[in-house]
Amino acid sequence: MQADYTLKVLDLKKHYGDVHAVDGVSFDVQTGEVFTMLGPNGAGKTTTLEILEGIRVPDSGELVLFGDVMSRVSRAAKQRMGVLLQDGGFEPHLKVKEIIQLFASFFSSSRPISEVLDLVALTEKAGAQVRNLSGGQKQRMAVGVALVNDPDLIFLDEPTTGLDPQARRNLWDVIERLKADGKTLILTTHYMEEAEELSDAICIMDHGKIIASGSPHDLTASLGHETLIEFRWDDPPNDAVRVLDACCEQVRLEGERVTMETSMLPKTMAQLLQWSEETAVPLRDLRVRQPNLEDVFLSMTGRTLRE
Amino acid sequence: MKGIFALARAHVIAGIREKDTLFWFLVFPLFLLTILTLIFGRLGQDPEIHFTIALIDREAASSDAAFSPSAIVRELFSSLTLSETPGERPLFSLRTPASTDALDAFQEKEIEQLRRGNRAAVLVIPPGFDRNVLQSLQAGGQSPQPSVEAGLQLYMSQTSVASETAAAIIEQILAGLDRNLLAQMGLYDEAASIDVVTEWTQQEQADSEVPYVNYVLPSIVLMGFFTTGLFGVPGTILYNREGKVLRQYWVTPLSVRQYLLGFGVGHVIFCAIQFALVLLLGRLAFGATLQFSSWHTVLLLILASATFLAFGFLITSFARSANGGMAIANILNMPMMFLSGMFFPIVGLPIFLMILVYANPVTYVLEALRQSVGIQAGTLMPWPWPVLVPLLWILVCSAVAVRRLRWDVGS
Repeated sequence: MQADYTLKVLDLKKHYGDVHAVDGVSFDVQTGEVFTMLGPNGAGKTTTLEILEGIRVPDSGELVLFGDVMSRVSRAAKQRMGVLLQDGGFEPHLKVKEIIQLFASFFSSSRPISEVLDLVALTEKAGAQVRNLSGGQKQRMAVGVALVNDPDLIFLDEPTTGLDPQARRNLWDVIERLKADGKTLILTTHYMEEAEELSDAICIMDHGKIIASGSPHDLTASLGHETLIEFRWDDPPNDAVRVLDACCEQVRLEGERVTMETSMLPKTMAQLLQWSEETAVPLRDLRVRQPNLEDVFLSMTGRTLRE
Repeated sequence: MKGIFALARAHVIAGIREKDTLFWFLVFPLFLLTILTLIFGRLGQDPEIHFTIALIDREAASSDAAFSPSAIVRELFSSLTLSETPGERPLFSLRTPASTDALDAFQEKEIEQLRRGNRAAVLVIPPGFDRNVLQSLQAGGQSPQPSVEAGLQLYMSQTSVASETAAAIIEQILAGLDRNLLAQMGLYDEAASIDVVTEWTQQEQADSEVPYVNYVLPSIVLMGFFTTGLFGVPGTILYNREGKVLRQYWVTPLSVRQYLLGFGVGHVIFCAIQFALVLLLGRLAFGATLQFSSWHTVLLLILASATFLAFGFLITSFARSANGGMAIANILNMPMMFLSGMFFPIVGLPIFLMILVYANPVTYVLEALRQSVGIQAGTLMPWPWPVLVPLLWILVCSAVAVRRLRWDVGS
């Protein structure tokens, strides 16, 4: 059933001196899914992604890309790939249309230029030089460049970083459309809600290894059936943590922010409110929520993804 | 293939739109051509060689002979104050004493003017000149000595180039006069000897017909190619690398070889535009008459731009940053320019410098181009070396660049 997978990664390794940036990573990306890589800075996801994009050569390991086994990404494979780099650049004195034409010329087949411009809503800016574009427009052009060859596998490295909410939402629509067309997407993002909203499968990396993988639902469900109660306090009594710990599964402290994990929400909530009344400690920004991917990472590493 | 041409097109368009590139690689060669031609152009063309000389005839008053060499000298110099073609300034302006002038005072005053650089020469016909000349001519017989010249007093200033030149011309004129006088007396075979003066005159005329701009134009063209190759190529590629432009190419099927090829084609087109502008300015503004249209001249121009392009690639492949690239280009710039004969002759250099001269591809393309457009007779090395040496450099530099060039900083 090889055709079900666009990409298989087997025991991929890459080290720089003593640093094992990628330390035996294996995963599969199914055809037509959005596969998201999460992890803090330095986790190895950028290096992994760069190997898969063909920028870096791995020390060892194997790739099965479009059904072909290879140790590094071949030029033939690149014909079917589109890449949005996190920090790519473009010749500032060329016009948007010229950039799209230039990149189209590198591939044996490509979409019509007007179609690409339309897809990323840059038709009106086709004649503008790159240096005169706004950050959001540049990002949209880069997405257009990544899609110019109508690729089967698309890498989007931090695609919505620096975009305003509307532009981000528009890009989500583009991603949904590509997915509907049967394209396979590999995504990295800092936005948890983006990962949860868009992804079919997620792998979480830390210290060059994959520490968890699965669908967003599976991952959050792996935490059990806890509900989270969050609030902020200013000047709690000394025994506050001990008292609250007794009425839930776990209490986490991050500065003045408190998170209580509980599987018995009504009981824990009642006890918390009573404690607040007795001690006169106000519960600022009190809210109840379900665990997210950030909580999954936190529970596995004791650190947040942004650290 | 279409990627290579698209890259070439993009390279040319970006170069033309970028103000710095436009100035240094298109405007600057034109500027240099204008400046050099305006400053030095008049020296070569010499449209007006002109000397002011004083002629003081102290014999005139005393001589009453029918055949008067002093009168002939006076007439001769008077005739030289008339221009041969209307509107053109004559060779000499002649200052002679007025009838009321005291000859001694006049002569003293003119010699003082000569010292100050206001006269090119002062020629004095002494008393007794006619008699002396006639005696000398009759006694000299078949071996004509410069008797007229010997009888005259020529004052000149050794510190003045104009004065030395004028003196040389006057000596030539007088030597010719001697022969004319001897011939008139039937003592000289005019047909056998007159060619000396004639030849000198023709030589001068032939030289002055070649405008200076013809000499400087091939050098300007090559210097433009050289600067664009050694500085422009690493500059563009390395700034693109730092700006992550190359990284963006890297994730496409484009190979380093294809990228360099596309860039190279664009570079040659850019050089062609540069060349066309320099040639157009040289022709229209300064009257250059060089012909660059023969096929081997065109091939040589392409060879030259490709050679410097290859050096640009070499620098790019060794530099870690754009600033580093500029530093390497600067180090190569001076020896390559100066050890090529572009600015001064390369004969008589120490042996270790001559080795560099022979290894320097600039030497070969410069000589070959100069020879090809007809302003240099021969080349340092015989054919096919002027083409083989640059070709060898192109191959070596390109091979190293394809192997060494990195798409990304630190990768």
